[in-house]
Parts: sequence; C-alpha cells; structure tokens
Amino acid sequence: MHNHTRMRTCLILPAMLFAATLPARAQRISLDKEITGKEPKTFLPMVGSWVVTRENGRNVLFIDGRVWKRGQPAGGLADKARALYGARNEEFIESIKSFAYFPIAVAKGVDDFRNGEISVRFQMVGGTLDRCAGILFNVKPNGDYLTVRYNGTEDNLVLWTFNNGVRKFVKRAPETVPLELGTWHTIKITVEGTQLHGFLDGKPMLDFTLTEPVSGKVGVWSKTDSMVEFDDFTVTPSKP
Amino acid sequence: MMTSTRSAALALVTTVWGVVASPRLQTDVVGANQQKCRVDSSAAWFVKQRVWLDDSKHAWSDDTLRVMLVRAAGMSADARGAIQLGWQVEGVSASASAGDSVAIAALRKLAATRGAIWPVKSVSGALGARAVWVLAQHDTALARAALKRMMEAGPEESNAADVATLEDRLRLQSGRKQIYGTQFRRDAAGVLSLASMEDSAHVDLRREDAGLPPFRISACLARSMRAP
Repeated sequence: MHNHTRMRTCLILPAMLFAATLPARAQRISLDKEITGKEPKTFLPMVGSWVVTRENGRNVLFIDGRVWKRGQPAGGLADKARALYGARNEEFIESIKSFAYFPIAVAKGVDDFRNGEISVRFQMVGGTLDRCAGILFNVKPNGDYLTVRYNGTEDNLVLWTFNNGVRKFVKRAPETVPLELGTWHTIKITVEGTQLHGFLDGKPMLDFTLTEPVSGKVGVWSKTDSMVEFDDFTVTPSKP
Repeated sequence: MMTSTRSAALALVTTVWGVVASPRLQTDVVGANQQKCRVDSSAAWFVKQRVWLDDSKHAWSDDTLRVMLVRAAGMSADARGAIQLGWQVEGVSASASAGDSVAIAALRKLAATRGAIWPVKSVSGALGARAVWVLAQHDTALARAALKRMMEAGPEESNAADVATLEDRLRLQSGRKQIYGTQFRRDAAGVLSLASMEDSAHVDLRREDAGLPPFRISACLARSMRAP
C-alpha cells in the first residue's frame, strides 16, 4: 500500500509539473475573412495605416508606411481606444499620441496575455527611414507597452519599453542578422513570469528578466515609414 | 532634330547621376536605343521632390556652412536643387570639381562628433543637403555616416530620394543587394545592366515611398544615356 502510494506520487507529481508548463490551445488570428484594401477587423489599428492586403493568395496585414505622417495616430483612435478600455480610454489615447512614430495594431480577443508564446511571420517590403516588424505585448490601459522588434535598417532584434510617453531601449540581441526584403521570417517571444526570450526564425536571440510579470493586450508593432506585411499572428498561453 | 537637341541637353545634366536640373522639366527623352522615357513633372514623385528642394524661403540656419558645402561639391550657389531621377552608374565619379577633401574632412569630423549639428535642410538648405550627398559619393566612411544622419533626421530634413540612392550604393559596396534599383553597371562592351536587387516585386512601392520615379522610367533614362 505504502509502495503504491509512493509510486502514484512518483507518477503524478512529474505529470503535474509537466502540465503546469504545457501550452494551452494556440490562438491564431486569422485574416481569411477580412476584406482586402480595408482596415482589419481582427486587429485594432491605433497608430499608422494598417490594411489587409493579398500576398501569394493569402490575406496578410500590411502596415503602409507610404502614408505615415509624423505624429499622427490612426483614424478613429478615440472609438478604438474606447472599444479596448471603455471608460479608461483617455489616458491610453494621450500616451499613444506621444508614440505616434510607432504604428501599432492591437489584436482583438486576447484580453490579457501573461505567460506563454507569441509569434508572427513578417515580410519587409520597404521603408526609407525604417523597416521594422515587432510583437507588441504588455499593453496597459495607460498606453504603456513592450515590444520585441526586428529592424531591417539595423539588422537586429531589440526589446523596447514605452512608459509614460518615453521610449527606452532595453536590450539588443548580440547578433546582427541581415534579412532580405520580400522574404518571410518569424519573430517569436516566450514569457514565463518575468523571463522573456526572443527568437528570430526559431533561433534564440534575446533573453531578459523583466522588472515585473507581463500582463496586458498584444498585437503588432512597426516604426515610422516601414512597409511590412504580417501573417500568422499566434498567441499560445501557458496553462495556468 | 528638336528631339535630339533636347536629348543632348538632358544628357549633359544626367550623365554622371540621374538628376535633372530643371524642376519644370516635362519632356520625352529618346535615347540611342529609341526608348521613350517620359518624365512627367506633374507626377506625385516629381512634385514631392520639387517641394522638398524648394529653397526659396531661405529657411536655413548656417549660410557659411551651406556656401562651403555647395562650393566643395562643385555646385552653383544660386542653383536650384536638381530632381533625383533615381539611377547611377556604378564606378562613375562625380564632376571634376567635386570631392573637396577639406569639406569631406570637415563632414567626417562632424559625423564623429556626438551632438554635432549635421547639415540637413534646416541647417544648410536643400542645396546644402544635396551637396553633402554629392560629397558623400567620394568617401565611403562619410557616405555611411551621412546615410545614418539622413535617415535619423527624417523626411522633412533629408531628401528621401537621395537617401534611397545612397543606401543602394552603400549596400552594393558592402556586398549586399540594392533595394531601390538605382544602381547600374556598365560592362566592358558598354552594355548597361541593373546591379543585383532584392525583392524586385515591391520595388515601385519602395520608390514611391522615397519619392523616386517608377523603376521603368529610371531604367529607361539610364539606358538611354550613351557610354562616356
């Protein structure tokens, strides 16, 4: 009897530990039912001109830097902020306006990402000043957020924070990786508590310990006049 | 006769780089291979550049620097900024008077000095900023520094068409492919071909963003110019 109990404990405990780190069901934001040439309905564009476009027979999300104007948020920002944060939207709007150099689109249906994995495929198309593709996460009602992004004018992966209207560089991946325009690549982040890992095309590039655990909305990020296509935005929370 | 005169006149201002001195130009260029290259001065890219290159308000802060740069680049101080037509032939150098080593040294020093004011449009005017671009063609280290400063300064301060052309040139020099299709090579037989380019499918999107003409126009203009 005693041996049975011990054996059962031996079997159950590792299983429980394993289950704690098992990924939950992945949530892929599909653009299949979106209308090309229009703003997406599955993402809420807050800054920049985001449209659904067709690439090789697939609907993809395009940040069109050709129409980027310095300091200008996306149209209908107030309504979108209200949709995201209800009565708490004013602080968000003020903060986002100060970050209007950085186009962002918030994924609908992911209200609070804390632990797990976020990945997105991207293809840089152009941009005279910048060619940036990033994962937006930890988006707070006051407009603060984090991003891990690749910049094709610098060939690097970097973690940035945006707090109270101030952008701060946090950590740059030690390796630079030149990527060709017009080719698809994948950025992925994994978050467990305060541990953040960044990957480019499956290769670990960036590790960082955040000051506090992640909690907030997620989406895609870009910069100034970047022209980038995004696809397969996927959020996979860890099982609580 | 008329066409060949016009073509010859245009060739004078576009032989070294694809730039056209007259901002009001609207003409057909018929080159040696009889291609028609229409440059439409009402096209969005042309208007965008013309607006950017307008120095008529004299809204620059450092006239001494402007004069020094313009002179060093072999340009006329009262000239209007030339429209960037988005093509260069690799290995072809700037005009004989350009490449002033004192000016290049001064710019290199500026680039290396943290916080130094770089001669962008608000500092030295559109013509001064173009002069920096001309001088940068003669010195790779300066060109790299200039490109970085131009990109950081943004589209109000730097002519995006010049940024794009310089980036292509530097990418090829560092062994990468160009992305705007502005760089051509001439072989021993004098035949012009486009240097290797990434993602040709989206090249005109990038050109539009940079205020350059569509690729077919630049390529047509480049190919219509006879070998020197």
